[in-house]
Amino acid sequence: MLRSEHVMARLSRGNLIPHSLSDSDEPTTETAAELSGLYAKHVGEPRAALEAEVAAKEEELGPRLDSRRGFRIVRAFGKLLEERCEWAAPAETDPYTLRTRIFELASELPELPVSEPDLLEAPTRDDILSRVATETGLEDPAMLMYADRQSAQILSEFHKPSPEELVHRYNVAQIQGVLYAARELTVDIGAEADARLVFHYVKKMGLIHRIEPTRFGYRLRLDGPLSIFGSTRRYGLALAKFLPGLILTKPWKLSATVEWKGRDASLTLDSKNSVLASHYLGPRQSEDHDEVREAFVKAWERAKNTGGWSLEASSEILPFPEKQAVLVPDFTLKNESGETVHLEILGFWTQRSLVERAALVGAANERGDRVLVAASENLGASNEALEEAVRGGVIPFKGRLSAKAVSERLSATG
Amino acid sequence: MNNSGYETSGCDDCAEPFSGETALRESHHENDPPLGYALRSMVELSYESGTLLASGAEAGNLPAPFVFDARTRQWRAPANAYRETILHLREMDIPHKDNASSFENITLESKLAMEPRPYQTEALAAWRRANLRGVVVLPTGAGKTAVAVNALEKVGRSALVVVPTLALLKQWYSVLSDAFGEAIGLLGGGYHEILPITVTTYDSAYIHAERYGDRFALVIYDEAHHLPAQKNAIIPKMLLAPYSLGLTATPERPDGGHELLPELVGSIVYRKSPEDLAGKYLAPFEVVRLPIKLTAHERFEYAQADAVYRDFLAKHRLPMRSPEDWQRFIMVASTSHSGGREALLAARRRREIQAGATRKVTTLERLLKQHWDDRCIVFTKSVEEVYSLSKRFLIPGITFETVAKERKEILDRFREGRYRAVIASDVLNEGVDVPDAGVAIILAGSASRREYVQRLGRVLRPKKDKRAILYELVTSDTGEESASRRRREAFA
Repeated sequence: MLRSEHVMARLSRGNLIPHSLSDSDEPTTETAAELSGLYAKHVGEPRAALEAEVAAKEEELGPRLDSRRGFRIVRAFGKLLEERCEWAAPAETDPYTLRTRIFELASELPELPVSEPDLLEAPTRDDILSRVATETGLEDPAMLMYADRQSAQILSEFHKPSPEELVHRYNVAQIQGVLYAARELTVDIGAEADARLVFHYVKKMGLIHRIEPTRFGYRLRLDGPLSIFGSTRRYGLALAKFLPGLILTKPWKLSATVEWKGRDASLTLDSKNSVLASHYLGPRQSEDHDEVREAFVKAWERAKNTGGWSLEASSEILPFPEKQAVLVPDFTLKNESGETVHLEILGFWTQRSLVERAALVGAANERGDRVLVAASENLGASNEALEEAVRGGVIPFKGRLSAKAVSERLSATG
Repeated sequence: MNNSGYETSGCDDCAEPFSGETALRESHHENDPPLGYALRSMVELSYESGTLLASGAEAGNLPAPFVFDARTRQWRAPANAYRETILHLREMDIPHKDNASSFENITLESKLAMEPRPYQTEALAAWRRANLRGVVVLPTGAGKTAVAVNALEKVGRSALVVVPTLALLKQWYSVLSDAFGEAIGLLGGGYHEILPITVTTYDSAYIHAERYGDRFALVIYDEAHHLPAQKNAIIPKMLLAPYSLGLTATPERPDGGHELLPELVGSIVYRKSPEDLAGKYLAPFEVVRLPIKLTAHERFEYAQADAVYRDFLAKHRLPMRSPEDWQRFIMVASTSHSGGREALLAARRRREIQAGATRKVTTLERLLKQHWDDRCIVFTKSVEEVYSLSKRFLIPGITFETVAKERKEILDRFREGRYRAVIASDVLNEGVDVPDAGVAIILAGSASRREYVQRLGRVLRPKKDKRAILYELVTSDTGEESASRRRREAFA
């Protein structure tokens, strides 16, 4: 994430266009490469040395890249590279104990320790330092006195990005920077988008959502708890952190009202014409989740008796506003009499996510929506939690979910 | 004999507890409804991310701040509606249950011999008369912290102290640890430990208040003139705290933001100006200004570098009044083909000479020697200078990097006389208690009015018949001189 002073955007007829760089522009990628090379070269060296060189490089690379924005671009690169650094303490001696001892000795003297020996033979600075050197066995106590300062930290590891990766991160970070000043965010997600993933990040960032169906999918309006009492930028940071989550999937469109230089401006983006790469890894998922779903579809097709129920992929979202949660079923099952049942197959689950699921299924049934949830016995966190959930109506399965397990449940509760 | 007795007895009522206990008392209405009345549903209050939720409520039951939140289909109000809500529900005799607050009762007894001066007692009484809500205005050095410590003691509930800087965070931490002998929580500056008494910064409160806003019954805003800033003004909204105390020497803001104070923390309940307390409670002090002449060699080098630098500025018509101007200069200089590089080098050399003037260091050495028994505090703008001078003179240094525990230890030892001198960067700026320093030496500083006044506040402390001295070391013939002049003018 960038600091506000690195954020740049152009205002055109009330629309904000965040600054972006091209990953095929040579001066840009060269600058990116040179700067990350500098970080890589400093592994094992103290922070102060790196920072001094980065500052000097800013003055050299910045204006060469772009006479107006170069500085800020290079600084922004630096900030993003710093996020990929790990730091370690420099020495094994404890500088705190060392300097405390030095200060105490100096303070015990009746006079300020002089820097040069004089005729009165007053104790000198060197007398104190050599005494401490003898006590500790350290060669140069003065040099190590403040070895625990941040600037003395050693760059222990640097996860070097490719120049293109850095440029991609920069482009997303600039949009995030614009979102710091956002009051609310409207996101349209298409039916093909992974809604479960989107809601994972909505929840993770502590945002409040409103959801309504559109012709193409769903529209989410995101803000925070205090937003109803007057718009606030308080949740801008959370909205900015949400963005890399959203761009893990597509299609989507987003628009935000942003307070920019004292005025309202709008930011709009469309996954169709923006090439954005996320640095988020996405929630933990079982790799063969898709396989499990496909296998279930095949099993259903082959099944002799499905009790008159037909299976289709679902693009529906069941909202639970009171719980600020949604269910995103994988499938919809329908029978001749027009009954509809939703089915969600859980990939990797945690005890907490399972308990929450069971509560949502209960709430759905209460209001007349029939929902079935199936959870793999192999991909979960605890057996007890699963047993509990099974009592609450969750269908357990090993490896593959069979058509029979589902159709039995359909007729049992139907 | 003493009529002020009614003040103290009267305010124990206003300190009536806001806690679950009273709610339980109300709750048997619901279990045992009087015959003939329709069963009134129980209003349940809960706290969620900086807001107050009321379930089981009907529109007419709740005070004005509540709105129906269509997003989540609940009645919701900003968290600071808590006090008004509880009072309203009690008054209307509406059965309710308070699941929102998780305040803690704590027994506090100040171990510090902070003898309250009469105006401190008055200030506290005025705050209590105002139902434990309001702002106390006292000049720097008048002991605002003592008022806060007394307020904490009187309220006896979990409390959050919000301060503007990391330096103040650390200072409050050490004062409160000393006063109550209890572990104090810290939130901000790399610390994240929430305890019944926790100190945080405005910046951290802005981010984290929504997570901990249900824990504190009392909130104290230090340097409360920071609170009306657009970003900070949302902090009180996220806190349930029914009691609040604002402390400041200068409540007025040029943007008129002080008009928001009554809503955010309470009205000004007590005010004393420096003139009110001068002489009697604020120690007189002497300002000694020592111009530092550059050595002949430095002067020659400085003049040369300065000429190259100024020529370049003039040629390109560059003003030099703000940090942005400096950035612009670097940009122009590093893209210019004629003389840009030379101008950059000259500018750097110029600054180096200014900062590292040989005579400045020797003058400092002389002053430290002269005042070795008088408890000196040396101030400098530059963090690096703190560390290099600390190494040179073997006296402890304090900067924003110094961790809270070590900082407290250094100042404690300074107070006890185990350390004779301390060198600090800007961290000891706004209203920090420096124990009985007899001598302050300013090595550099920016030309801001508030900073200068606050720094002087360091030695504006009552002391036994010893006159405090403030030295200001300014390199003459360089840019630093006019900064110092601006400071003095602002103070005059």
